[in-house]
Amino acid sequence: MLRLDRRLLQNVDWPLLAAAGFIILLSLLSLWSLAPGRGGSALAWRQLSWVGVGLLAMLVVVSVDYRNLVRAAPALYLMGVGLLLAVFMLGRTVSGARRWIHLGPITFQPSELFKVIFILVLAWALTSRRAQPLSRGALIGTFALIGVPILLIVRQPDLGTALVLIPVLAAVLIGVGMRLRVLGGLALAGVAALPLAWLVLKPYQRDRLLVYLDPFRDPLGTAYNVIQAKIAIGSGQLLGKGVAGATQSRLAFLPERHTDFIFAVFAEMWGFIGCLVLIVAYLLLVLRGFEIAASTRDPRGRLIALGVTAIFAAQTLINLGMVTGLLPVVGIPLPLMSYGGSSMVVSLMALGLLLSIRMRQFR
Amino acid sequence: MLALAVVAAVGFVGLLGQLWYLQVLEGGRLQELSEKNRIRIRPVAAPRGILFDRNGLALVDNRPAFTLSLIPREMEDRDTVLARVSILLKIPIGELQDSLDRVPPDSIRAIRVRRGLSLEEVTKIEERKLELPGVLVEVEPQRVYPTSTFAAHLLGYVREVSDEQLKQGRYRRGDMIGQSGLERLLDEYLRGRDGGERIEVDALGRPVQVMRREEPNPGAQVITTVDRRIQEAAERAMVGHAGAVVVMDPRSGDILAMTSSPAFALDRFTGNLNREEWLRLVRDPMTPLMNRALQSQYAPGSVFKVIVTAAGLQEGSLTPMDRTYCSGEYHLGAWTFKDWKEGGHGHVDLRSALINSCNIFFYQAGFKVGPDALARYAQAFGFGVPSGIDLGGEKPGLVPFAEWKRKRYGRGWQAGDTINMSIGQGQLLVTPLQVARMMAAVANGGVLWKPRLVERVERADGSLAYSSSSRTTGHVTLSPVVWNFLRHALTGVVNEGGTGAAARIPGVEIAGKTGTAQSVAKSDSSKGQDHAWFASFAPADDPQYVVVVLVERGGKGGQVAAPIARQIYQVIFLEKVAMVSLGSGS
Repeated sequence: MLRLDRRLLQNVDWPLLAAAGFIILLSLLSLWSLAPGRGGSALAWRQLSWVGVGLLAMLVVVSVDYRNLVRAAPALYLMGVGLLLAVFMLGRTVSGARRWIHLGPITFQPSELFKVIFILVLAWALTSRRAQPLSRGALIGTFALIGVPILLIVRQPDLGTALVLIPVLAAVLIGVGMRLRVLGGLALAGVAALPLAWLVLKPYQRDRLLVYLDPFRDPLGTAYNVIQAKIAIGSGQLLGKGVAGATQSRLAFLPERHTDFIFAVFAEMWGFIGCLVLIVAYLLLVLRGFEIAASTRDPRGRLIALGVTAIFAAQTLINLGMVTGLLPVVGIPLPLMSYGGSSMVVSLMALGLLLSIRMRQFR
Repeated sequence: MLALAVVAAVGFVGLLGQLWYLQVLEGGRLQELSEKNRIRIRPVAAPRGILFDRNGLALVDNRPAFTLSLIPREMEDRDTVLARVSILLKIPIGELQDSLDRVPPDSIRAIRVRRGLSLEEVTKIEERKLELPGVLVEVEPQRVYPTSTFAAHLLGYVREVSDEQLKQGRYRRGDMIGQSGLERLLDEYLRGRDGGERIEVDALGRPVQVMRREEPNPGAQVITTVDRRIQEAAERAMVGHAGAVVVMDPRSGDILAMTSSPAFALDRFTGNLNREEWLRLVRDPMTPLMNRALQSQYAPGSVFKVIVTAAGLQEGSLTPMDRTYCSGEYHLGAWTFKDWKEGGHGHVDLRSALINSCNIFFYQAGFKVGPDALARYAQAFGFGVPSGIDLGGEKPGLVPFAEWKRKRYGRGWQAGDTINMSIGQGQLLVTPLQVARMMAAVANGGVLWKPRLVERVERADGSLAYSSSSRTTGHVTLSPVVWNFLRHALTGVVNEGGTGAAARIPGVEIAGKTGTAQSVAKSDSSKGQDHAWFASFAPADDPQYVVVVLVERGGKGGQVAAPIARQIYQVIFLEKVAMVSLGSGS
């Protein structure tokens, strides 16, 4: 299975891999410096082992022709929905949400994995022969297909992941040539449904939204994260405080500092210059992704590349927007940076898809 | 496609804009905020549970006290600040440094360095607050006692957890925990759970806001079996003596009072007991820290004649009709054993021998009963094993027998051993608590109680955390005739001009037995070297109280111990009578 054509190997997208590797390196460094010598090193080591697992998963994805993966999409879809259902039955509740499945010593977050399946299913549904030319019926069928798992994810509740899927859907729809007017109509309908969504939200989710609108509404509760993250980032100033001086992060003023808010740790330590470097790395990654999508003739590969890139872009932008106080707090990790096995492995698998498409572009 | 890439790129550029705003434009302000972002973690001590006596009177209480704390992270110029504190409060600077050295230098936790500050000391600190960053005075509940030595051994002292105890991992630095007595036994219940505050403070250390507060969980209330009135009476009666008093309810095994003298000052431990004071306490030849009621072993002396009598009558080797002539001397081979009374007691029978504590009669009785039966009955009455009281460090005492002696000394049992044992001397050792239990069995017809100190423990919300009922640990089976004989003879000891006459109170029938025990140290039989015993119960026909008094090197039991018991009975019965009549009169 892992046999790779030499011709394929010539087309490995090294800049893409380099950008991702650089980000992962910064992630390990940040985790390590959270508490040098103490808990931090354990975090970094564990993250490193997840990187190893992720690289293996990436290799597997790369070695398989993505077109076969698209063919297998219905089966993967059923598996994915099954896993999401399993979360409800076997899931572990962590801070009010059931997102994890407990597998012996490790926990695993099916909604993360579902992101990749989501893209494959979209590619399968929108490019299958029966769906050509793209009709209204085919679109409605596609929406129905992806609606079920999205609902399941929202119910977990994992609003962040569900939220990331929306721009991805939009990007893929644009990719298949949907007219912007139609898309705009859909978006309007979505906005109109927002008051309805308010009713569905859990109290803590409403709090987060309100706090976003007015951070000093509750300076010690939900807004505490936002304020402390802002202080951490801002106090890094131009050049950063270095590892030792990063009091905000190291003295634990900052909650969730190794997971969703890890960017604040990085920003405090390395300042604006450091952030600039990191953001350029993310931008390179994303632009490279779009480039792969643009240069792929095969519609399936195109859609997948577009979807994967959109996921990276959306997740990165939403996470950074939330940590810097531009967006309300929704719990999503920063890809390749945040501590967490599921996120790391799935991010690397998604990268694998991009690499795989690039390698098979010219055949 | 291009449009999407542009959208993403614009998003990233927007982010960079926000970062520029936060880190460069606002950076200085936020940097300042992060400097000022000083958080303290301040433990809020849970008030320790109160111990009550059986009637609901408090045995200890809490009152607010001032504690000096240091916050390492806020002490910018540590040496200067410590030097100032040291001079202001006259605390050796090394002591302050030691406390700080045990925690990380950037800790935001307040470390308590001295408890029980006086108001004057607090004023000194508060006046110079600005020169003392990182120094603060907190208010904590602290133990307060009716008198500084009240029921010291029973209650036990409370002191900050030691480094040793910290290693057990059950405590946090600065915790006040029970170190002896009931305070230690019930520490889990009494301690409660400390709360804590995470507070943000400004540059002057003034709290800006409480970020999170966890309320402390107060400790549970303990209702003991102690009767504070009797306890106080026992302590009063023992003033000027070394020794112990145990008062027990023979119907339940409840300890109504227990005192050991000399006692130590409980309140010295809650504050700051320095090393010197501690060493002085530990090295004091009068061992004030030891609870003599159960940690000290003595020969029972003539008190043991009660057991010789019980064994002899039950086994049939003695009868009430046995008579002998006491000339004051007893010859065994080349040895001569003397009676305590010069010239002897003349003609005696079993009853009068017990009443007058005639040694000569009991030497002979001891031979008739035999050492094996003596040992067996001594053990049956609870000697030689711990009573099972829940306080730590209880001594088991010692009941010698032939087998034991051979193993221990490689020599067989001698006639002299029997002689010694029959008057409660020699290697026989008992604790005052064991004697109380034995006397309770005589009073209640053979029930050996596990002494009970704690009736119940109630949580702060009123629910029951623990309750105990009386438990027996053995039963001495004697014929009712024997029990009757013992009770009557012991009543005679006090009321028919016997050795215990000094305990007599008109209107209350007290039964008891005196004892004068040679102390373990080589006796030169000069006055004041013997331990004085008086073991008693009352009222004789319906025993409700067992009072056992031991006075170390006090002299004769009848002269020293019996009057002390009398003082205690006086409080028990006469003041009770007075209270009852007062009640009915109103």
